[in-house]
Amino acid sequence: MTILSAIILGGLFGFALYKSGASDPKKLMATLRLEDLTLMKTILFGIGFASILLSVSSLVGLFDISHLSIKTTNLGVIIGGLIFGIGFGAAGTCPGTCVAAAGSDGIKKAISAVIGGLLGAFVFSLSYGWFKDLGLFDSLNAGKLTLFNISDAFPSVINLGFGGLLIMGLLLTAAAYVLPGSLAKAQPVKQTRNMN
Amino acid sequence: MHNWNWLKGALLLGAVFFIAAFLVKPIGVSTQFSVAAGIVHSTLDQDVIQVDETRDSGYRSTNAYYDKSDGKLAKSIKNPMNYDFIFVLAIPLGALAGYLTDKIKKQKAGVSSAKTEDNSLKISEQELKMPEMNVRGVRTPFIKKYLPAYIGGFLLLFGARMADGCTSGHMFSGMMQGSVSGYIFAASVFLAGIPVARYLGKYFMEGMID
Repeated sequence: MTILSAIILGGLFGFALYKSGASDPKKLMATLRLEDLTLMKTILFGIGFASILLSVSSLVGLFDISHLSIKTTNLGVIIGGLIFGIGFGAAGTCPGTCVAAAGSDGIKKAISAVIGGLLGAFVFSLSYGWFKDLGLFDSLNAGKLTLFNISDAFPSVINLGFGGLLIMGLLLTAAAYVLPGSLAKAQPVKQTRNMN
Repeated sequence: MHNWNWLKGALLLGAVFFIAAFLVKPIGVSTQFSVAAGIVHSTLDQDVIQVDETRDSGYRSTNAYYDKSDGKLAKSIKNPMNYDFIFVLAIPLGALAGYLTDKIKKQKAGVSSAKTEDNSLKISEQELKMPEMNVRGVRTPFIKKYLPAYIGGFLLLFGARMADGCTSGHMFSGMMQGSVSGYIFAASVFLAGIPVARYLGKYFMEGMID
């Protein structure tokens, strides 16, 4: 049953990544270059929409809050995020989308990213102890902090519960809606003329 | 001109992230790269993960990362037939299904347009043969074509493991739940990603025409 739900939900996720255009490195790259923000609108609206579904289902008592899973805030999130961003800007893909792209178009490039990713994860596993001793995960450690107190299990910033998360979701969807389609003019790929 | 495709994609993605959290748990991907690499690692070095009955997970490791959180990762590496690992393995299958349905749709559209405009199909066929070439009509060298993706992939997973999550786990699932770490991760990613894509992206894009 667990395996079956993993196959169905994982498959659904891959389908959604492909259909939304998120698995296309060219679209991700155009988004990061601020030339075509449609994918940014999609992601922002998607997160907001998911927040709305989560808060409404919790407010009516349908959501099992033991399913919530909050990650720790610490310096590792910031440094790791910056390193991640460099890879994101260089490859135009991310861990989930390169796995998705490995099943659709641009397969060879996606597999290159997956192989690089496996090595990157492995090198991190080997260096984790060193980073830990450096205090990377203890600096700026705020615990499993949430914006709103959605569960007693996590510390929170604002005492608005799922109502606050609902407002946040509505704000994110509104921001996605008004976000312009582009912030920068697309530059055509450098066309070097053959002088001979 | 209104194009609502971005909204359709958003509703689909948002719904999938919610359904996964509703039925099982929030979606995450990057941990499974550590698991997959760990499977290879523990096969080559049999001593790195050992059975330890005194622990809840049943495993301990000489590697601090596998041993973290009471040997949680060590357990996943030794028992990869679990929800999280199979979930990630199923992602390309779903993407393939989407890709094939699109291709069939396009083929049908291509056949009907061929009846009316024969020339347009010929051009698109020619374009289909172009991918191996760059703008100069020269084959993109192998290294130039695949190295950015390889290095990018390395940095992505190294960074994601350091941050303890990626775009799926931190940004989408995290922000969905109002997690502060999700917002901080997203801000850090775009702070580095936008300048890299804007100033170095064109060098990578040249090799990306396919």
